[in-house]
Amino acid sequence: MKYVILIHSNPRPWGHPTADYVPEFQSLPQERKDAMLADFERRLKELSERGELLGGEALGDAANARLYRWTDDAPLATDGPYSEAKEHLAGFFLIDVESQERAEEIAGQFASPGDTVELRATMWPGGDDQ
Amino acid sequence: MSVRELEDVWRRESPHVLGALLRRHGDLADCEDAAQEALEAAARQWQELPGNPRGWLITVASRRLIDRARADAARAGRELAVASEEPSPVPPERDDSLELLLLCCHPALSRPSQVALTLRAVSGLSTAEIAAAFLVPEATMGQRLSRARATLREAGVRFERPEPDDLPARVAAVLDVLHLVFNEGYTRSAGRALLDGELTREAIRLTRELERALPDHDEVAGALALMLLTQAREPARTDARGDLVPLARQDRSRWRRDEIAQGVAILERVLPRGPVGRFQLQAAIAAVHAEAPDAAGTDWAQIRTLYDMLERVAPGPAVTLNRAVAVAMESGPAAGLTIVGGLLEDPRLARHHRTHAVRAHLLELAGDRVGAADAFARAAGLTASLPEQRYLNRCAAEARR
Repeated sequence: MKYVILIHSNPRPWGHPTADYVPEFQSLPQERKDAMLADFERRLKELSERGELLGGEALGDAANARLYRWTDDAPLATDGPYSEAKEHLAGFFLIDVESQERAEEIAGQFASPGDTVELRATMWPGGDDQ
Repeated sequence: MSVRELEDVWRRESPHVLGALLRRHGDLADCEDAAQEALEAAARQWQELPGNPRGWLITVASRRLIDRARADAARAGRELAVASEEPSPVPPERDDSLELLLLCCHPALSRPSQVALTLRAVSGLSTAEIAAAFLVPEATMGQRLSRARATLREAGVRFERPEPDDLPARVAAVLDVLHLVFNEGYTRSAGRALLDGELTREAIRLTRELERALPDHDEVAGALALMLLTQAREPARTDARGDLVPLARQDRSRWRRDEIAQGVAILERVLPRGPVGRFQLQAAIAAVHAEAPDAAGTDWAQIRTLYDMLERVAPGPAVTLNRAVAVAMESGPAAGLTIVGGLLEDPRLARHHRTHAVRAHLLELAGDRVGAADAFARAAGLTASLPEQRYLNRCAAEARR
């Protein structure tokens, strides 16, 4: 089963890893920060070795997004961001795991001070007739 | 020789070639590499099929293994004791496919790794083909496979038949893997028609081979019967638009009678022998469906009895849900809804689409169209399957009408 782990954040200025730019993470003691970052690197490596990590991307500043809306029977471009919310989609990881439980376990490990992690199932083309 | 002919030979011979190599040299990764090199040599050299393709491939692959061991030893500045062991040119006939299946489904490996390794080493599929079948990037599948081989090496797993006491549990793991491969192929045959039943055919082929190797293991026969009886429904499970048709609404005249007959014949042979395991019970349920003229004319009392037995042998929420349907069909929807209500108290099951889909069908049966529509909509929101979502949204709309 494939899931996408979405990282919502409000890094100021916009930058990656978001942890470097959010006050909630920056206010932690250095040792704790180092340990959390090392943990994160180790987990990514493990997921990759287990063949569970399909990919991921850090996204550019939401403020620089270009939006295209259908107006007067033609696309009309405006400058972003899409949402007025404070936090924006900052990046994502795509994983392929055995079960929802495993996906939830991994998503929990992606939580970090200052970020909100969202786990979403991806749709697949098959189905059961039972 | 055409590429297609060579592929056919490879699919048939690769488990035997690998088995012969593994008996002499235990490391799966090395043996797979050597077998691959032998295949490449065959592609270059074979104008037509040699008299004994298996012997040819084993001989060439064994030489590659020895060459490599010599080179490694030379690099390390050591003499190599096995260097003089030239492989016998024509190996004795022996079927290693069971040992190879058991190796690929070794308990040290995660289930997805067992599946991937089985398709690679036993079925002879390429990494790219397996990746395509499971809709993941080829690099990811490659990592999954190398990790699996490394795990076997680190765990010191040897290529041999397990102790008789361990065999049933090891065979059960193989059956789980083969059934998973089958289901992956079967459930994918709805929706985007990107798979042509390759995985279902391969799962059935391997289960048949396993049955030949272990004729006294009734669960192997049960799994084979289940796959055949399920596969028989394949022509009826999608409509003209490619949308999913659930079992209850399928046009049974389109079910394949030959596969049903094969499945039923297997069951008639093994069921009286008892004790009856979960695959035999699931197959028996599929056989009751197969023998019914339509959903209403199904022997639901019989199905309910079988689900009662299945719940004792292999309890789980999916079994309880199916039992709820059987109970509802036999004794009325209220009794079924009581069972589903109990399941909904578990937060994990409350987030599972099938719990709500079954509840919706039972509410509809009870005449509660509003409740059914809500439950269908809830199920549609929870499923990750595109054809199921289309089907459930359609049901919700129909119930609201």
